[in-house]
Amino acid sequence: MSTAMNFGTKSFQPRPPEKGSFPLDHFGECKAFKEKFMKCLRDNNFENTLCRNESKEYLECRMERQLMAQESLEKLGFKDLMDEKSEAKKNL
Amino acid sequence: RSRGSRRRTLTSPGPDSHSRARPDLALAGAGSGARALCPGCHGGVWARQPSWRPRSSNPFTREQEQEWRRRNRTVLTYVAAAAVGMIGASYAAVPLYRLYCQTTGLGGSPVAGHASDQIETMVPVKDRIIKVTFNADVHASLHWNFRPQQTEIYVVPGETALAFYKAKNPTDKPVIGISTYNVVPFEAGQYFNKIQCFCFEEQRLNPQEEVDMPVFFFIDPEFAEDPKMAKVDVITLSYTFFEAKEGHKLPVPGYN
Repeated sequence: MSTAMNFGTKSFQPRPPEKGSFPLDHFGECKAFKEKFMKCLRDNNFENTLCRNESKEYLECRMERQLMAQESLEKLGFKDLMDEKSEAKKNL
Repeated sequence: RSRGSRRRTLTSPGPDSHSRARPDLALAGAGSGARALCPGCHGGVWARQPSWRPRSSNPFTREQEQEWRRRNRTVLTYVAAAAVGMIGASYAAVPLYRLYCQTTGLGGSPVAGHASDQIETMVPVKDRIIKVTFNADVHASLHWNFRPQQTEIYVVPGETALAFYKAKNPTDKPVIGISTYNVVPFEAGQYFNKIQCFCFEEQRLNPQEEVDMPVFFFIDPEFAEDPKMAKVDVITLSYTFFEAKEGHKLPVPGYN
């Protein structure tokens, strides 16, 4: 938090998260998915674009175990992944 | 004639025993000429020196002096009113400024109507890669091991990203912590949107417990269009954990 008492300079205003806070995963139920995601990140030089499938799976795990409010994945920004999946299904 | 009799009581004892005991009052009687110049002053035995006395003895300039005195008083009243008005305005400025910032969205304050269906429709800006580095801090009184699980992650605006922090409670008692965050540079903070995280709510860790704490965020695609952000390639997200005590309120964002 900025402590400089300058009137007029922009100070940082923390904002609450849009969907609130994640409940803590006390029992490590989604730890396997997290490990998969972290491994993917390490393998791909920490590029998020290449590991979006793993992050989607982690969030799905949370939603299944009531550790996250159920939400359609499009609303979480995974629309392109959903479109890809439906396209792949169509082509099959 | 009465004045003359009073003067005589100064030197010789007389029936008027007041004046002998109170010589200053006798003096007031002696200075009777002053009473004519000071019509507003209370005359009589208890009269003191008047507070203001015109300097000139000329009646015409005396009037002018009175006129000046009146004008000075008017000016002084106006100046005092202006000073009080300034102080009042400085107190009123705080809520007014807040209102102004909320309506115009300047200074990075939250703009009303930031809908979450923006996430659905936003298009990633693939040619602008931003490095997000992570920092974790803990307040001195909180004995948790709190650290990020990745030092950095490369994202593009418009794409949602997941990152993890890890916290461990090495003590033998359950501890409740609450965290806040900070984004550097400050101007990039308005584009940094957290969909879900672990901040601003109390998180309880049992003894010897270790948990993963995810942060799900994205950078607003408008970041790529802001000329002020053209040189910004690194954004640092910093979380700080405090111990949540009874009755201690962490300043939660929002105007309450």
